Amino acid sequence: MGLLKINGKEKAFPENKMPATIADLLRHLGVDAATVVAELDGQIIGRANFSITPLHDGQSIELVRFVPGG
Amino acid sequence: MTITTKHPDIKKILADRGLDGSGREIWQKRLAETTRAEVEWALSRPPGYYVLDRLLILISPAAENFIEQMAQLAHQLTLQRFGRTVRLYAPLYLSNFCVNDCVYCGFNKSHKFPRIRLTIEQSLAEADIIAKEGFKDLLLVSSEDKDFIGVDYLAELASILRQKFSSLAVEIYQMATEEYTKLFAAGIEGVTLYQETYDRDTYCKYHPAGPKADYDYRLSAPEAIAQAGMREIGIGALLGLSDWRLETLALAEHAHYLMKHYWQSRVSFSFPRLRPAKDVDRSQFSLLSDKNLVQMILALRLCFADAGMTISTREPAHLRDHLVKLGITRMSAGSKTNPGGYSGSTGSVEQFEIDDKRTPAQIAAMLKSQGLEPVWKDWDSAFAKS
Amino acid sequence: MDKLVIADRHFTSRLLIGTGKFSSSEVMVEAIEASGAEIVTVALRRVDITNQNDDMLAAIDRSKYLLLPNTSGARTADEAIRLSRLARAATGINWVKLEVTPDPYYLLPDPVETLKAAEILVKEGFVVLPYINADPILSKKLQDVGTATVMPLASPIGSNQGLKTRDALEIIIEQANVPVIVDAGLGLPSHAAEAMEIGADAVLVNTAIATAADPAKMSEAFKFAVIAGRTAYLSGAAAESKKASASSPLTGFLRDE
Repeated sequence: MGLLKINGKEKAFPENKMPATIADLLRHLGVDAATVVAELDGQIIGRANFSITPLHDGQSIELVRFVPGG
Repeated sequence: MTITTKHPDIKKILADRGLDGSGREIWQKRLAETTRAEVEWALSRPPGYYVLDRLLILISPAAENFIEQMAQLAHQLTLQRFGRTVRLYAPLYLSNFCVNDCVYCGFNKSHKFPRIRLTIEQSLAEADIIAKEGFKDLLLVSSEDKDFIGVDYLAELASILRQKFSSLAVEIYQMATEEYTKLFAAGIEGVTLYQETYDRDTYCKYHPAGPKADYDYRLSAPEAIAQAGMREIGIGALLGLSDWRLETLALAEHAHYLMKHYWQSRVSFSFPRLRPAKDVDRSQFSLLSDKNLVQMILALRLCFADAGMTISTREPAHLRDHLVKLGITRMSAGSKTNPGGYSGSTGSVEQFEIDDKRTPAQIAAMLKSQGLEPVWKDWDSAFAKS
Repeated sequence: MDKLVIADRHFTSRLLIGTGKFSSSEVMVEAIEASGAEIVTVALRRVDITNQNDDMLAAIDRSKYLLLPNTSGARTADEAIRLSRLARAATGINWVKLEVTPDPYYLLPDPVETLKAAEILVKEGFVVLPYINADPILSKKLQDVGTATVMPLASPIGSNQGLKTRDALEIIIEQANVPVIVDAGLGLPSHAAEAMEIGADAVLVNTAIATAADPAKMSEAFKFAVIAGRTAYLSGAAAESKKASASSPLTGFLRDE
């Protein structure tokens, strides 16, 4: 079993279903990678590196995107 | 790497606008063609509103017919911003040895007369006399006598004088920022330095030799003064060297530039008008009338609501008495422009002839009779330093 | 041509649009197009992972508009800096509208945290457009640390009260060495025109457009108002005439010359 904290909420993944990379996680969530920024354990990960950045049990990831604002 | 918008320096600003002499004919034509309607427009602008065009119109020949109206507006504006007060200061001349050859100056190195420079003790003795008259605001003046009246001398003098005077300023040859910084640390808070003339050709003509011969270097001085953190920067042109209207425009652009980029310093205008000096032939100059001088003062006041405006004892008493109602905020009194002059040392030559020879007490009385309060001190340097 | 120059970029439009508070992305896009704006602000928020279709901004054509991220939500300099870095990572653009608003009621900007963040962000190479109260000294200090503009408010965000800070804005404009963009509280096109008439370089409008009954039409009205105000400013409008009160003549002595 693997645990990831996503945007402040913990999400449990059954064995072997844990997303291996950020790109995998986004696919799993159905989130379009093109408009998202990720911060993994406090480090900003550029979009170019989503498919090569591995995820491990216990990490914390922030997924942020542009939204309407003044 | 920081990304900021680049700003042109004052040299480029003057050159671009042709105010360093390069656009002389164009500006003169524009001034001559100013219309009555434009003057009315300029007068209807909010007080303190400055764009070059407004100032140009206010100093134009066309505006001469509106001088009373300008005076009323300037008087009200000065009242609002400065109250019913005029600051009083005294100049202390430290030396008349000079390495420059400025054609118009009594201390020009080519003139032969016995030169005097004061020791620290002698300067302190002069300062004592000045202090006894009630002054708290002292201006140390010297010609370019760098080897003797250098940074160390001035700093030493300042560190003693700051016990006696709440405000110390200097009017001396140009220095570098580091040197001004030393002076600031010693207690000097203001520096006055005139470009003399903003017209390059005229500048060359009247400053043939010595360090002062470099126009660009001279022009950069007020900025060096500001960068050292000085609270007051005095600028001006020696009126009579060149077309006073063009000088006023360049002077205003210089002031505006300093106000924008060094917003923590106060810029003041002075109006040194060429005066009789020993061995200097006056016929070569384009002297201003009293009316011209008044128009210049009023126009600058209407455009720069918070600028200090200083008039010295170069000017005659009756004129000064009127000028204090027309925008002037600071004046000298009982001045001696020869080193050692306050102690009554005979024989030393004055930089220029004083016209208003009244004592400080008489000047104070004159101000009071006009409903103005003479202010002997405006700031205590003790507040700024431990 | 009368261009708005911010950092090293030139713009024709002096109306900036905020994208918040619109009812839908279609309405938002229509309003943006009607405004003629070239700069459009956006915020950064956590992705709502429970809602796949939470991307309202996908509809904005990034080749037409400069998306200017703001740091709204930040309550401290550190939060604002973090958001700025995230925004830069997202787009590669280093422009940021710095907004540090610890007070959730009036959303007024914190001057101390804003100055702190601005100094750091400028050093990191950001083009910083700080949102501030109409404080002339703060404006000068921000310019000293190298911000590309200042963005003083007219009145609190969303209040639609117009130029309540007019006197201070005039001082800021007079003393500024960078473009002054009046932001927040502009509720009517006439407010925007007034800001331009007193010499503002640009205005930013959001609530008044997004919450109008017909946002696209209101947007167009603001566009015209900004142009009108700017044109009036350039034409040198006459001020109210200030009559000097009669007092004894001051220059009579000159007639004896």
